Amino acid sequence: MRSVFLITLFIFSTLTQLALSSGEREINIYKSIRCLVCQGQSLNDSNSDFAIDLKKVIKKKITNKKTDQEIYKYLTERYGDWILFDPPLKKTTIFLWIIPLIFIFLGGFFVYKRTKISLNN
Amino acid sequence: MKKKFRIFLLAFVILIFFIIFYYSLKASNKNNPNTMLNKSLPVIELTSFVNTNLKQVLPIINKDKYYLINIWSSWCVPCREEHQILMKLKDKIKIYGINYKDKKSNATSFLNELGNPFYFSGSDKDGSVAIEIGAYGIPETYIVNSQGLIVFKHVGPLDKKIYIRINEIIK
Repeated sequence: MRSVFLITLFIFSTLTQLALSSGEREINIYKSIRCLVCQGQSLNDSNSDFAIDLKKVIKKKITNKKTDQEIYKYLTERYGDWILFDPPLKKTTIFLWIIPLIFIFLGGFFVYKRTKISLNN
Repeated sequence: MKKKFRIFLLAFVILIFFIIFYYSLKASNKNNPNTMLNKSLPVIELTSFVNTNLKQVLPIINKDKYYLINIWSSWCVPCREEHQILMKLKDKIKIYGINYKDKKSNATSFLNELGNPFYFSGSDKDGSVAIEIGAYGIPETYIVNSQGLIVFKHVGPLDKKIYIRINEIIK
């Protein structure tokens, strides 16, 4: 009796876990997609017609076992990179990725110099 | 030496900001609605909103030199505005309609009142067909060539200027 109870509990918890993870995946995708007809909102935050329709399309793709990459590719092919909150690394976006590194390097160098000067003093 | 380095650093930072702002100003249209331009029209199956047994698959290869796809709805006010232009175009180019989230009765009375410019009009009850071809909303108009490439896309109602442009493309 006890083992039946434990097995049922195990199956139930696994199924809940699976259901949760697919829901989480869906929300993670919605959060990284820009609602194109709204002002600065993600698909997850928006209740516009466009966002609702797009969510349905994404949900269908997840049910059809499409990977996240395939879903993002589908969306960027139709709406461009602007639909993604994270711009991909390309020739046109290289500055976006490099500039923060330059600033970190410069800042670090500046702090290093300052500490060296104050230590010397 | 130190002073020189500081000046150099300042000039470098200013230069970086200049480059960022320059490129930001140039990229005035980040949300580019023309992403689908010069790309192949994705395969879509339209089901007639009048008779659900009638179906039409797009793109149609090598049949006509060009054909036009228009996303419309009876509840969309700009669609009413552009309708007379579609009526003018219907003898020049085959027009395939995508009836977006509409009721059959409303769509039928809309066409009865203003005329039917469509060679075929399929219904898109949940907006998925519009998303498949990269539309944002309605009305939207596409011109597709015989190879299935989207050669023209217009977001918003058609006007005289666009009418002239379409005529230039299809002549």
